[in-house]
Amino acid sequence: MSQWEIPKPQPVMSEETAPFWEGTAKGELRVQRCAACGSLQLPASAVCSSCLSSDIAWIQVSGHGAVFSFTVVHHAFHPAFASEVPYVVADIELDEGPVLTASIVDVDHAEVKIGMEVEARFRRLDEEYVLCVFIPRGSKLPEGAPGDSGTESKQTGGK
Amino acid sequence: MAGMSGKVSVVGVGHTAYGRLPGVSAWALQAEAVRNAVADAGLSIADVDGLFTESQFSEPLLMHGTILGRQLGMRPRFLSTQSQGGATCISLIQTAALAIDAGMCSVAAVVYGDNAKTGQPNIYGLAQMGRGQADFVAHGLLGGPAMEALAAQRYRWEYGVTDEQFGSVAVTFRRHASLTPHAQYREPMSMDDYLASRWIAEPLRLYDCAITTDGGACVLLASTERARDTAQPGVQIIGMGQAHNLDGLRDKHHYTQFAGARSSREAYAMAGIGPRDVDVAEFYDCFTSTVLVTLEDYGFVGRGEAGAFAAEGGLSLSGALPSNTSGGLLSEANVTGWGQVIEAVRQLRGSCGARQVRGASTAVCSGHGGFQATHATLVLAGADAA
Repeated sequence: MSQWEIPKPQPVMSEETAPFWEGTAKGELRVQRCAACGSLQLPASAVCSSCLSSDIAWIQVSGHGAVFSFTVVHHAFHPAFASEVPYVVADIELDEGPVLTASIVDVDHAEVKIGMEVEARFRRLDEEYVLCVFIPRGSKLPEGAPGDSGTESKQTGGK
Repeated sequence: MAGMSGKVSVVGVGHTAYGRLPGVSAWALQAEAVRNAVADAGLSIADVDGLFTESQFSEPLLMHGTILGRQLGMRPRFLSTQSQGGATCISLIQTAALAIDAGMCSVAAVVYGDNAKTGQPNIYGLAQMGRGQADFVAHGLLGGPAMEALAAQRYRWEYGVTDEQFGSVAVTFRRHASLTPHAQYREPMSMDDYLASRWIAEPLRLYDCAITTDGGACVLLASTERARDTAQPGVQIIGMGQAHNLDGLRDKHHYTQFAGARSSREAYAMAGIGPRDVDVAEFYDCFTSTVLVTLEDYGFVGRGEAGAFAAEGGLSLSGALPSNTSGGLLSEANVTGWGQVIEAVRQLRGSCGARQVRGASTAVCSGHGGFQATHATLVLAGADAA
């Protein structure tokens, strides 16, 4: 990132969310699993939202899911996105159950549909964070896409 | 009727000019609104012993009420600042009604004001969402419209709602604003204008979204007994309800059904009425899609029927359910939920002139926010009905 660019808003590594971001840095998508009742949940919470147990661990999930809903964002609500509009953000229903909000990248916007199957990819946001984004399932891993700083990895890989 | 029904009344309403008011602080807007509401009721600020506030969004302050109350010279017996997004106004009114009924204050001012149009920019609106709880900002999901778009897209898909059905809400409410002298946007809007407005976040266009306003508004409450000695015709609170779906869009049901279904059920039960008894509705119309889902949640139409109901004129002044009769958040002003309550009170007083719904005696107001998480409902009755 050149110094005159406006940085994008960052996620926040908190006591609850740190394991999620440590996961994305390794190319792993993780969700919380309650050891007491088995519930899976996102976003990170301090306790299990089903049974209030504190005995929760992070597990890696498949990275497969389907588009539950999506939007094509045209208005730059933050100056850092002014050069990226229009772009797609979706609520992804993971195969394991939880819903995750994330970008869908490397796709013709007209092809994004509710129900479309997607799979996770990992892209570096900045020096600190790697984001979990999604591409249509089965599409080829794009090579050297614009804006890709060469840090993309598949779920099974990791950097 | 049950519980709190009819015990507390709205005795005064007041607001500032709405629109572009450069150089006027949020505090000045709040103070002017209080002054106008007190005058409307024929009371003085010395009579007001309860203060209920929401902080200006552009400068979120945890102890907002202490700062406003000091500037108003108040030494209140009851003080509360709340934050529930678009449900805050009605939630504050409900808390104030409970405090009045409990004898903990006698006249309550419920206040909001912000210079959102020309003041401090609040483009992210995310400080309130909590550390680590809104990480989707990094994906560019920022601001209410982008988040609402996710719900609206799913709602469209499930029920086959058309662009024109969304648009009919915006066009109808603009027509109501054109009959409202204080409304911010009064120029006529056609369906072509709506369809030509730019995309914000698909499926939402510019005219699907609430406007931005510099302005302040205040609702003044007292016991119904005390209300008899004030200047305006009494408008009683006959139903109150709240319900919150705190999972928001993490719960797959909350895209097409909001907490309004539960909230309205509570309010109807307290009021002893049903949706058929409502003469006027003032919906929290932060987006056109929100109005459609609320129509269904409140039982005015069946699931998936709201789009056709709106397109066939159901929301217009001569329709089956005259709604947002002063233009709502889409055209009148965006002072979060205060505009809805103030307009409902004016309709029940019969003081709305060209936009008056004849014979209006029962009105319902909705408050909705927190990115599909919070909801509150108020049912009001005019002097004749109560």
